[in-house]
Amino acid sequence: VRAALGHLRPVRVVGVGLHPYQRPSDTPYTALGVHAVRAALADAGLAWTDVETAYTGTATTAMGMSRLMYRHLGATGIPMAQVENASASGSTAFRQACIDVAAGLADVAIAVGVDKPLQFSSPQRAAGVRDLVGSRVVPFTHFALLAQRYMYDHGATAEQLAMVAVKNSRNGALNPSAQRRKARTLAEVLAPPQVSGVLTRLQCCPISEGAAAVLVASDDAIERLGLDGDRAVRVLSSVARSETVYDGENFDAALTRETAAQALGEAGVTAADLDIVELHDAFTVEELLYIEAMGISPAGRAAADLEAGQFDIGGRVAVSASGGLLAMGHPIGPTGVGQVCEITTQLRGEAGERQHPGARTGLAHMVGVGAVCIVHVLRKG
Amino acid sequence: MRVPAHPGLYEVEADVPSLIGTRCSACGRPYFPPLPVGCEVCGASEDRLDTAALEARGVIYSLARVYVHHGAPEAPFTIAEIQLDGGPLIRGMLSADAGELEIGQPVSAVWAVTGTDASGDDIVEPAFVGAVHP
Repeated sequence: VRAALGHLRPVRVVGVGLHPYQRPSDTPYTALGVHAVRAALADAGLAWTDVETAYTGTATTAMGMSRLMYRHLGATGIPMAQVENASASGSTAFRQACIDVAAGLADVAIAVGVDKPLQFSSPQRAAGVRDLVGSRVVPFTHFALLAQRYMYDHGATAEQLAMVAVKNSRNGALNPSAQRRKARTLAEVLAPPQVSGVLTRLQCCPISEGAAAVLVASDDAIERLGLDGDRAVRVLSSVARSETVYDGENFDAALTRETAAQALGEAGVTAADLDIVELHDAFTVEELLYIEAMGISPAGRAAADLEAGQFDIGGRVAVSASGGLLAMGHPIGPTGVGQVCEITTQLRGEAGERQHPGARTGLAHMVGVGAVCIVHVLRKG
Repeated sequence: MRVPAHPGLYEVEADVPSLIGTRCSACGRPYFPPLPVGCEVCGASEDRLDTAALEARGVIYSLARVYVHHGAPEAPFTIAEIQLDGGPLIRGMLSADAGELEIGQPVSAVWAVTGTDASGDDIVEPAFVGAVHP
């Protein structure tokens, strides 16, 4: 019989750490990653020698890159592996760390996302897939096409789409780990350069580097190592799915709908219970599509709900309180791990200026080209 | 003579472009671009994936005017998603002469010249323009 994660040993996030997301620099990935790991260890009150297994979410840096990084913490001989799942690499690394603890394969596991934008490969090219448009459609045009169709279907305006970036820039301005730290007005977001369709530059995530680390532990380890159980955050569910054939429905939205529904169901909560949502807002239209796909707003209502402030910090549910991919940045491997850092910080009540009051239940969502979708639901206590 | 910009995706001899797709003989699913190896819907193997001509006509599902592009062609240009009358949702270029088109409008393909090869032949691809559907 198949068991959901929540039916295995309880898994709790006990430590989180980040290297700020930033414009690509000369800093080696090893320094980015070790910075985040040390921060997570300090946050948890753990030593590197307590960590029993490591998963590295990475997609654009280098083959076999884990040990060259972790050796700087002292080479303990633990198992380690890179996890590549496109934009969902970090989320998948976190899921693997959770699975190891839930299954009893480890008591303390770490998921580290780290990347520099050094090499982007094309699975279509490797597969020999050719179409009429080729390189003329890059991700921003894929999402510009989605945006145009969303506006056509629901009567949303270009200004309403841009308001996603206004909100997320406001949140990013409060996040010391964010790459874009300037609150933007609607006029600034709508200003040229126009990139594709209605999308302007500030409605597209930046190219980033950075690192994020999350330590997960069993209850045995929390007791044995004397960790602060009051600051621990339970991983209620972990669900991963891949695209099937969706006739007449956008695949990004359909895949999110299926994956989020399963993750909420396995966690025993509903969309209405969510206080904090971090989602794949690489382009403004995505936030509206995914809010609807998750059931947080009815179809076609997300733009109006956003305009009414429902997704602000302090609103009905804080969406992209970190600034999201649009403002915090999207370094690929770190992104999904960084979402768990933000949700954990919010559920602990430690988010300072960007704290969402009364945050109890959070959801992390990433999609990756291919396409895959990963959703985790977390709860305090 | 016309030379295809994308060999294997369309026949260049005809005056009106038609697309070379695939139809799965096990489940009937049509594909464009052509699908090798195995069927995405039913998993049938390659010997069930038959070449099938698809008329290059359909209805605009979405549009995007691209303003930033590195390489040829020079931006701006317009990409369309088109629900083909024959089934698949495809992506193609709107013709530079297509004028203002909107979601829901019928379109069909004409030849667009993208360059000239060493022998002086036109390199062509299908590009979509507004059409009147019967």
